[in-house]
Amino acid sequence: MSGVALQHGVAAVILGVAGANVDDPASDLTFESDIRPIFRAHCFDCHGATEELKGGLDLRLVRLMSRGGASGPAIEPGQPGESHLLDRIRSGEMPPGEKRLSEKEIGVVEAWIAGGAATARPEPEEIGLGFRVTPEDRDFWSYQPIQRPDVAELPSGARERTVIDALIRAAMPQGQGFAADADRITLIKRAYFGLTGLPPSPEDIAQWTSDGDRMWFERLIDVLLESPHYGERWARHWLDVSGYADSEGYTASDVGRDWAWKYRDWVIRALNEDKPFNRFIVEQLAGDELAGPRDGDLTDEQIELLTATGFLRMAADGTGSGANTAADRNQVVADTIRIVSTSLMGLSVHCAQCHDHRYDPILQTDYYSLRAIFEPALDWRDWKTPQQRHVSLYTQADRKRASEVEAETKIIADERAARLAAFMAEALDRELKKHDEPLRSQLRDAYRAPDEKRTEGQKKLLGQHPSINITPGTLYLYIPESTEKLQTYDDRITAVRAKKPKEEFLRVLIEPANHVPETHLFHRGDHEQPKQTVVPAGLTVLAAQGRRREFATNDESLATTGRRLAFARWLTDGGHPLFARVIINRVWMHHFGRGLVATPADLGRLGSRPTHPKLLDWLADEFVQGGWSLKQVHRLVMRSTVYRQASARPVQSGPSTPGPTALYATKPLLRLEAETICDRILAAAGSLDRTLFGPPVAITEDHSGQVVVDGEQRRRSLYLRVRRSQPVAMLQAFDAPVMEINCESRPVSTVATQSLMLMNGEFMLRQAAKLAVRAAQEAQPVEPEMRASLPQLAELDKALPGQIVRAWQLSLCRDPSTDELLLASRFLAQQTAWLHAHPKQLTKGATASRQAITNLCQTLLSCNEFLYID
Amino acid sequence: MIPFTRRSFLNRNALGIGTVALGWLLKQDNLLATPKNVPQEKPHFDLKPKQSSHVPRAQAMISLFQHGGPSHMDLTDPKPQLTTFSGTQYSGDIEYSFVNAASKTLLGTRWRFSKHGECGTALSELLPHTARIVDDICLIRSMHTGANGHEVSIRYFHGGIPGIIGRPHMASWLLYGLGAETRELPAYMVLTDPGGHPIDGVNNWSNGFMPALFQGTVLRPTEPRILNLEAPAHLRGVPQQQNLDLLRALNRKHLKRHPGQNDLEARIASYELAARMQTAAHEALDISKETKATQDMYGVHEKETRDYGTRCLIARRLVERGVRFVQLFLGGQPWDNHRSLIKLLPAICRRTDKPSAALVSDLRQRGMLETTIVHWGGEIGRLPVVQDHGDPQKAGRDHNGQGFSIWLAGGGIKPGMTWGQTDEFGHRAVENVVTPNDLQATLLHLFGLDWQELVYHHNGQDQIITNGRPARVVDGLFA
Repeated sequence: MSGVALQHGVAAVILGVAGANVDDPASDLTFESDIRPIFRAHCFDCHGATEELKGGLDLRLVRLMSRGGASGPAIEPGQPGESHLLDRIRSGEMPPGEKRLSEKEIGVVEAWIAGGAATARPEPEEIGLGFRVTPEDRDFWSYQPIQRPDVAELPSGARERTVIDALIRAAMPQGQGFAADADRITLIKRAYFGLTGLPPSPEDIAQWTSDGDRMWFERLIDVLLESPHYGERWARHWLDVSGYADSEGYTASDVGRDWAWKYRDWVIRALNEDKPFNRFIVEQLAGDELAGPRDGDLTDEQIELLTATGFLRMAADGTGSGANTAADRNQVVADTIRIVSTSLMGLSVHCAQCHDHRYDPILQTDYYSLRAIFEPALDWRDWKTPQQRHVSLYTQADRKRASEVEAETKIIADERAARLAAFMAEALDRELKKHDEPLRSQLRDAYRAPDEKRTEGQKKLLGQHPSINITPGTLYLYIPESTEKLQTYDDRITAVRAKKPKEEFLRVLIEPANHVPETHLFHRGDHEQPKQTVVPAGLTVLAAQGRRREFATNDESLATTGRRLAFARWLTDGGHPLFARVIINRVWMHHFGRGLVATPADLGRLGSRPTHPKLLDWLADEFVQGGWSLKQVHRLVMRSTVYRQASARPVQSGPSTPGPTALYATKPLLRLEAETICDRILAAAGSLDRTLFGPPVAITEDHSGQVVVDGEQRRRSLYLRVRRSQPVAMLQAFDAPVMEINCESRPVSTVATQSLMLMNGEFMLRQAAKLAVRAAQEAQPVEPEMRASLPQLAELDKALPGQIVRAWQLSLCRDPSTDELLLASRFLAQQTAWLHAHPKQLTKGATASRQAITNLCQTLLSCNEFLYID
Repeated sequence: MIPFTRRSFLNRNALGIGTVALGWLLKQDNLLATPKNVPQEKPHFDLKPKQSSHVPRAQAMISLFQHGGPSHMDLTDPKPQLTTFSGTQYSGDIEYSFVNAASKTLLGTRWRFSKHGECGTALSELLPHTARIVDDICLIRSMHTGANGHEVSIRYFHGGIPGIIGRPHMASWLLYGLGAETRELPAYMVLTDPGGHPIDGVNNWSNGFMPALFQGTVLRPTEPRILNLEAPAHLRGVPQQQNLDLLRALNRKHLKRHPGQNDLEARIASYELAARMQTAAHEALDISKETKATQDMYGVHEKETRDYGTRCLIARRLVERGVRFVQLFLGGQPWDNHRSLIKLLPAICRRTDKPSAALVSDLRQRGMLETTIVHWGGEIGRLPVVQDHGDPQKAGRDHNGQGFSIWLAGGGIKPGMTWGQTDEFGHRAVENVVTPNDLQATLLHLFGLDWQELVYHHNGQDQIITNGRPARVVDGLFA
């Protein structure tokens, strides 16, 4: 059935993984540099990475290949024609299945054999399970320590304001330079959207454009970094990588996650405080281990620390909603590790769950060592469901009060039970009255007889008179008013319960005290095939030969094992080659639309290489040396010429130089993210409620099944409920992630759906109308000369030009040009005239001019200048 | 072009119950711009036409879903024994839904059955128009869900498991397996009733755990007919054209300031595609293009059949334009005749009988019936015993998931036949029993798909439409 089963898991991605020195003389090819990467991708699964070797053939060492397996020697060094291995590969017999080595790869193997099947160094005598991590593996750029580049010799000039500029400039070809600085309004918008995700108001624009200080932009950056909306904007970025959702996912019911938002708010606060980023991560990975013993009421600090661990509870989790098998639990663990590794280490270690990683030097044992770090808190053999992991914020006093209230409700519940019994008796009597004696008494006895004592005759009798079988569940069918009557008791109970102190919870990961489970490597990732025990440790490739960083199995100074705390501290001690690079790369990506490494969650072999490795390392080192201040990184980046330059060059500069954007010779143009588009629309229309924090805003399905905000949307989109199975239509259309696991980077799509939503969507229509009203209220009369320049205006409402100007200011953060004013006036004149002629197309209560200006507003809210930031 | 896997989100953990309307669009036009980031190792979904596993006989399907449970003993399944013993006690076991009015008193039909067509299939006088197309249809009298509840059985028919929501509709499976034939219209459309949503609401067109592009797009009974796609009334036509002209002018000025930015040009182009889609949808829904004779055949000009006739006619126009699956729903559940059967059953028959029959005749006349399956039927049937309300005029029938009728026509279905039987009173299907899973397997087969091989990977498992429940292709139904 070809083409139907679109399977997950996907094909080998052959991105020239071989050292690919095809053009080099064959004699330069070595097994370690050129051949192993190919074999690892295609062959080691059966011939090296696992205990059973297919055909007895081991391809991990050249001498083992020469010795060969069941079919004899696999290679004859120097004689490709005699080499069995090459035949099998070339004929397509190997590897089995549909995957094939590329012609280029086969060529490399052939050339290497022809050249004598050289190795880079003598091969080891012993070889353990799986493959080893070789010096070539360790040489890969991202596993190398961060190296602060020497910046003394770099270009310097008026345009090189900062080291960043010097490093970028140094990577440009001769004669290439930066674009001129962007104009002030562009810079103001860029900074506002970049740091707060909200537009500057016309007043902000006026203030900052007239600021006479030479250092105005530096000051603007400082002001914006102090805005509480900064934390909201950058929290959204972090929530993408952490996989934030307000629902558990995994099962069809996709049940709610009522308290996830407290973690979301924690992230906002932490970013606003500029909590040092290493601390920010340590708290998320091991807040519970830092919080110490919890006796009595939680302290504020403990609440903060525990809330942070919500990070480790973001993976989809069906174990509280019907999917609680061993496989389901292990899936939660696997997804959590995936979130940790992609967000903090920039590696997709999950491939090593079943076998040694095919492309990156990540051993299967490494994967399970990483898992061992989390095992004591996420133990699939001693599992806790989401509900069981909740921590109540009740104090002792709250608890006492609550039990008093419960005692009160018990009294009402007893009254209810008595009333129910009376109703049941009444219904039975009524039904029985329909029958005469002796049947009546027989039916009564049969009904009243307890199930186990009911005679066959009684059962049959009841079967013949099904309507006698009254239950509390069917009572409403007999005495319809009983529902309402019984409801009054329930209402009273609810009312009494309302007096209870509101009980709030935290969604946390807490490791139980003295719980030290063993972690096993799972053969082929199958938890039913546990193999050897592994200890908690970091990745082998990140340490020198034979010196993998291991963590204590149980830190005796803590009630918990201390594994996560030790791991978190190691990760963030400044020496880890991946962590700081990964974070810096993300910050850069958010400012420039793409990372210095284009694949922010994969800094391994399948990922992209850094376009500016020195800059990446310099920034990473600054980040570490500067006390892990994210705000300081923003300052560094945003003060640079690279950031401040214009996004477009004057057209007259002739044929465009190749790839000016890739070289950062212009500032890349960015499409606003989904949330920013919605927030900007709300801000322009004057609808935005800038309240911070709190439970998520309810969403609902409209009559066609489209997910929308329940009621009027006013809050920032960050606060809308994130239900995995119900992505909000407007956000999803503009590429907001639908959380499967987490979102490493958002795509930027351009599809007709978006255009249709902007043309016809309810949200747009409503906000456009509001913007029109607001523009009318806030309009100032325009200068007489300007009015005189608008010939069409004779027919127009005198107030309209002022409204056009205000609509422009509110939506596009600037005044319209003379051209644009003319264009807009013509539009209004034309449309108003048409509407006058076709009054049927006026909406109820609207005048032609108000409807036309509403349409103008909608157009402004959907034009490219509104959706893109340069 | 690089395969673009942006919408491939729901392959494992997340799932969609009612996700985004217009999901079908998400993949239609991504040629416009190259994505900036291409996630790796994710499956790729689109609506491009796909190869079926064997030669298909059907290309499209129109399902006329009859919510509530049409009373088969009064419509499609004559039971002389029931008439003979009407008023006496039924000796078998019965599962009731409304126990307070439950009885075991048999209720014979009040309506006359007679044989029709060359095939001689017997139908009740309540379905005079269906009687004229009996030689085109295959009447299945042995449907069985085993469950009495509406939602339980509806979800069984749509999603493959009784009672479970969050599974893709059979139409989603069809799109997943076959893709779409048209780019300008949604491939899976749902025509709802002016009277409101059917019971179980938006679950009736769920894409379940599949991506939103496999979700049904609702054609609303009121304007705008397709949310977001059709302009609201006050914008339609000239005003929106003026808006778009202004937008283009502003965007051109902006582009001049940003020369060579592909994204900006792509977005300008995306409005042109959007406009084409609007035109296509508008044209497809415009039944004034049909001849008076055709409109009359569907009862478009008669009060009782106006709505259903219009929707049946639109369904044909949609299929004609390449839409793969169209499903018509009735508001609420008009066939759920617990009481006043004598009045309510003829009423709902008058609304639906003529248009349903017209659809089959019209498709046949146009040569479309060969490749278009028409399905008519509800989720359950009704009991042979009376649901008593103390007054014969108010008598009704309770739910029956044990045995009931549906009919199919076209797309490789054998015309002019009946299939299966219920017992002598019409309570249980007893011969050639067909379950919703059997029906799904059979329909997929007609579309060239093997129900066991149409696999979707979700939650670490290979999902198929029946979720492992037994099913069979009922090849006795094939022409």
